[in-house]
Amino acid sequence: MLNQLTQYLQSTVTPGQAGSMLWATIYILVIFAGISLCVVFINWGERKALAHFQIRLGPMRVGPHGLLQPIADALKLLLKEDTIPANADKVVFWVAPFIVTTAAFVVYLVVPFGPQHAVTDMNIGILFMLGVSSLGVLGIITAGWASNSHYPLLGSLRSSAQMVSYEVAMGLAVISAILMTSFTPGSGSGTLSMIGIVEAQKAQGVWFLFKFFPLGLVAFVVFAIAMIAETNRAPFDLPEAESELVAGFHTEYSGFRWSLFMLGEYAAMIAVSSIAVTLWLGGWMRPFPNLLSGTNWDTIFSLVPGAFFLFLSAVTLYSTARMPKKLTFRIQTVGLGAFGLLLGAVGLVMLVPGVRERVQDIFWFMLKVAVFMYLYIWYRATWPRYRFDQLMRVGWKVLLPLSLGVLIVTGVVGLSPELMTWLKGVL
Amino acid sequence: MTTTAKLDLNEDKTFLDSTELILNMGPQHPSTHGVLRVILKLDGEKVLGAECVIGYLHRGVEKIGENRTYVQFGPYVDRMDYVAAVSNGLGYCETVEKLINVEAPPRAQHIRVILTELNRITSHQVWLGTHALDIGAMTPVFYCFRDREEILKIFEKYCGARLTTHAFRIGGCQWETYEGFEKEVLSFCDFFEPKIDEYEQLLTTNRIWVERTKGVGVISGADCIMLGVTGPVLRGSNVKWDLRKAKPYSGYEKFDFEIPTGPNGDTYDRYVVRIQEMRQSVRIIRQAVANMPAGPIMAKVPKILKPPAGEVYHSIEAPKGELGYYIVSDGSLQPYRVRVRPPSFVNLQALDQMVRGRLIADVVAIIGTIDIVLGEVDR
Amino acid sequence: MALAPIFRKIFLVDLIKGLSLTFRYQDPKEIYTEQYPLERPQVAERYRGLPRLKMNPETGKTLCIACDLCAKACPENLITVESERDPVTKRKVLTKYTFDLSRCMFCGLCEESCSTDAIELTPDYEVAQYSRDGMVLDQKRLEEGPDRKEYKR
Ligand code: SF4
Ligand code: SF4
Repeated sequence: MLNQLTQYLQSTVTPGQAGSMLWATIYILVIFAGISLCVVFINWGERKALAHFQIRLGPMRVGPHGLLQPIADALKLLLKEDTIPANADKVVFWVAPFIVTTAAFVVYLVVPFGPQHAVTDMNIGILFMLGVSSLGVLGIITAGWASNSHYPLLGSLRSSAQMVSYEVAMGLAVISAILMTSFTPGSGSGTLSMIGIVEAQKAQGVWFLFKFFPLGLVAFVVFAIAMIAETNRAPFDLPEAESELVAGFHTEYSGFRWSLFMLGEYAAMIAVSSIAVTLWLGGWMRPFPNLLSGTNWDTIFSLVPGAFFLFLSAVTLYSTARMPKKLTFRIQTVGLGAFGLLLGAVGLVMLVPGVRERVQDIFWFMLKVAVFMYLYIWYRATWPRYRFDQLMRVGWKVLLPLSLGVLIVTGVVGLSPELMTWLKGVL
Repeated sequence: MTTTAKLDLNEDKTFLDSTELILNMGPQHPSTHGVLRVILKLDGEKVLGAECVIGYLHRGVEKIGENRTYVQFGPYVDRMDYVAAVSNGLGYCETVEKLINVEAPPRAQHIRVILTELNRITSHQVWLGTHALDIGAMTPVFYCFRDREEILKIFEKYCGARLTTHAFRIGGCQWETYEGFEKEVLSFCDFFEPKIDEYEQLLTTNRIWVERTKGVGVISGADCIMLGVTGPVLRGSNVKWDLRKAKPYSGYEKFDFEIPTGPNGDTYDRYVVRIQEMRQSVRIIRQAVANMPAGPIMAKVPKILKPPAGEVYHSIEAPKGELGYYIVSDGSLQPYRVRVRPPSFVNLQALDQMVRGRLIADVVAIIGTIDIVLGEVDR
Repeated sequence: MALAPIFRKIFLVDLIKGLSLTFRYQDPKEIYTEQYPLERPQVAERYRGLPRLKMNPETGKTLCIACDLCAKACPENLITVESERDPVTKRKVLTKYTFDLSRCMFCGLCEESCSTDAIELTPDYEVAQYSRDGMVLDQKRLEEGPDRKEYKR
C-alpha cells in the first residue's frame, strides 16, 4: 500500500502511461465524483452569483447563504416522480440523458489537471476531446425526438444545427493553437497531446493567449464564443430558450433524468473551459512563471492552495458558529461543521511538502476554469439571446472566416524566420 | 391588410407527417404575458400565421358595471389593466364627470396628472423588464422592478394601495396629498432619470438587442390606423398621435412635453419610443409639481349619483394606447351599459400581421413589444 | 470616415458596457431583497388592509351605529349589518356585523362612507387564513383583531 503511494508520488507520468490500472481507476472515480460535486456547487454558485448580478439574494434558507441548497435540490430531484410522456419513444427517451452525461464525462479522461494528473495522455488528446464532446448533441437530438412533442423537437433541431456549425469555428481556432505548439525552438514538431500542448507553452515561455499578439488572443476569443454556443449557454442558449421553447429539448423531462441533463450540461461547460485553459491559458502552470521566478516564489505559490482551503474552512466554521442554536437546525449545523472541518483537513494535507508540489497544479487549473464559470454566469446575467438565424450568421460569417484567417496568419508568422531565410536565398 | 387565415386544426395526422407544424403557444407559456394562447402555424421555425385565442381571464367587467352604481364600479376598472390601474381609474372618472358635466378642480387635476404619469412609468417599466426577459436578457426586469418599487411606495402612501389603487373618485380625488408628497415625487424624478440611462446602457446599443429588435414586427402607420392600433405602437410607426396633445384632458394642455415617434415601426423603434416616453413623463411630473395649485380637490358631486339619461364616450392616453369608456345612462343609479375600449385588445389584432414570415423567437419579441395585459384584453 | 462605430463594434464596446453595469451591481450593498418573514416591511399609514371595527376607547362600546351605510356602499355586498332598536333610547343597536374578507377588494369605499369612522381598513397586510370560513369575520374578531403567531427563526 505504502509502496504504491510512494511510487505514485514519485512517478512523473500519468497513470495511464505508467500502465497502473489501480491508479487509473482511482483517478477516474475521483474525477467523476469531483466533477459531480463541482457541478453541484457551481449550480449553487450560479444561482448565487446570478442573484447578486440581479440585486437579489439568491438561496438563503438552507444553511447559511443557502450553502446546503444544492444538497436539498439533489435530494428533491432524486425523489421526484419520474414521468415519461405517454406517446414518447420509451427506450430512446430513457437513453438520451445518459448519452449526454456520458459524453460530457468521458472527455475528462484526457483533461490534464497537472503534468501527472490525467487518467491518461493520448497523443491525439485534443482530437479525442473535441470528438467525444460533440457526441453530446446526439443525446440532445434523441431527447427532443423521443419526447414526441413540439417544443422539444424544435429545441433539438436548433441545437443540432447550432452545435454542428460552431464546431467548425471551434475546430479551426483549436488548430491555430496546435500550430503554435510546433514553433517550440529546438523541437520542430507540434503535438495533439493535451499534456504536450501545455509543455510546449512552458518551453516557449508564453501562454498561447499572448503568443504572436494579438493572434493568440483572437483565436482564443473565437474559441471562447464558440464554446458558449457549444454548451448552449446564454447568449446562445437557443435550444433551451425558456421564453420561446419553454425548456427546449428537456421540456418533457423531470426528476432524475432531468438532473442528468443538468449534470451533463455543467460537466460539458467545465470540459470545454478546460480545453480553453489548456490551449491558451497555460493549463496547470501557476501565474507569472516568468515574472516571479525562482525557488522562493515557487514555494510561495505552492502554499497558496492550502492557504486557500484553510481560509474557506475558517469561513465555514465561523458561519457554523453563527448558525441559530435551535433543534431544527441541528442537522444543518452538524453538516456544515463537518464540511468546514473537511475543508480544513484538505487544506492541511495540501500544505505537506511533497504533496503540495503535486497538488498545486490541480488548484491552478481549477482556478482558471472557475474564472470561465464566472464569465459564463456573467454573460448570462447581462446579454439578451440571439435569434436562430443570427446565431448561424455569427457562426458562419464572422467566427469561421476569423478563425480561418487567424490560422493562416499564425502559420505565416510562425514560419517567418524560415520564410525570410528562404527569401534571402532566392534574392 | 391581411385577415387571419383559418387554421385547420382537425387534420387527422400527427404533426410528424405534415410539412406544417401547428404549435400551441400558451395559455401556459413563459412569455405570453399571462394566459394568451397563440396558435402558430409553422414551417420549421418560420411562422406562416398566428391566431390568438383569448378569454381565459374574462371576468365580465363590463357586465359587472351594469350592476353597480357609478361610484361602486370605480374599483373594478383598476382590475383591467392592473399594471396601469391609476390610468384606468382616471379614464373612468373623467368619463362619468363628462356625463354629469362637472370638472375636477385644478388641484385634483394636477394630482391626477402626477399619479397617472408615475403610473405610465411603472407600466413601461414592467413592459421593459418583461420584454427584455422575453428576448433573453434576464437582468433588466429586476432593475426595473426595483425602481418601480419607489413609485409604488408613493402610491401606497398616497392612496393606501400599491397596485389596484382606486386613487381617484368621480369629481376629483378622495385624498389630499400626504406630507412630503411633492418632495418625494421630485426626488423620485432625480433618482429615476439616471436609471433610464442604465436601462439604455444595458440594451440600447447592445448588438444582440439591436439585432433582435431592428426590423422585427414591422407595421406601417397606415396599417396601424386601419387596425385601430394606438399608443406607443402607433407612435413607433411614425404617427404623431397622442390624446394628451390631440384631445387634452385633465389639464394636459398646460404642460410642455413632446411626443416621441420612431421612423420604422419596428420593435426597436417602439422600444425607443417607450424609453423616451418615460423621460417625457418625468418632465411632465416636474412641471405638475412645480405649478401645483392650491384649492379643493373635490368638485361638487351629489352624494347619490344619478346622471341624466344619455351616452358619453371619453378616452384617455393610457400607457398602452387609447383607453376609452362608453357609458350609456338611463337616468338610474346604475349605468345601462358600460363598454370599454381597451388598448391592449385592439393592439393585439396587429399580432398576426407582424409575425407573418418571422421566426418563433420573433413571436415572443412581438408579443412583448405590443405590450398587452391579459386582464385588459379579456376584461 | 466614421471609424469610431467600427472600432466600437470590433472591440465589443456595446457588450462590455452592459457587462460593466451588471458587474457594478454585484456589490452586496445593492441587494434589494427583503427577507419577508424576518424583516417585516413598514407599510404606509393609509394602507388599506385588514378591516377593524373600532371601539370607543373610554366606554369600550362599539362606535358603529348600525346605519348600514357601509353595507350599501360596498360594491361586493359583503358586509351584513343587523340591528334592533333599543326600546329605551330608541336608537339602533348593532346585533350582528359580519365582514366576508374573502370577497373584499380593499377598495376603501366602506370606510369612506362610514359616518362614525367605525369601520376602518388598517395597515395590517397579513390577512391569509387557513379556511374560507376563517375569512368571514364577525364583530368580535373585527374588534379584537387577528391573533396570529409571529414567525421567528
Ligand atoms: S373595502 Fe371595498 S370591497 Fe371591501 S368591504 Fe369595503 S367596500 Fe367592500
Ligand atoms: S360601520 Fe359605520 S357605516 Fe357601517 S353600519 Fe357601522 S356606523 Fe354605519
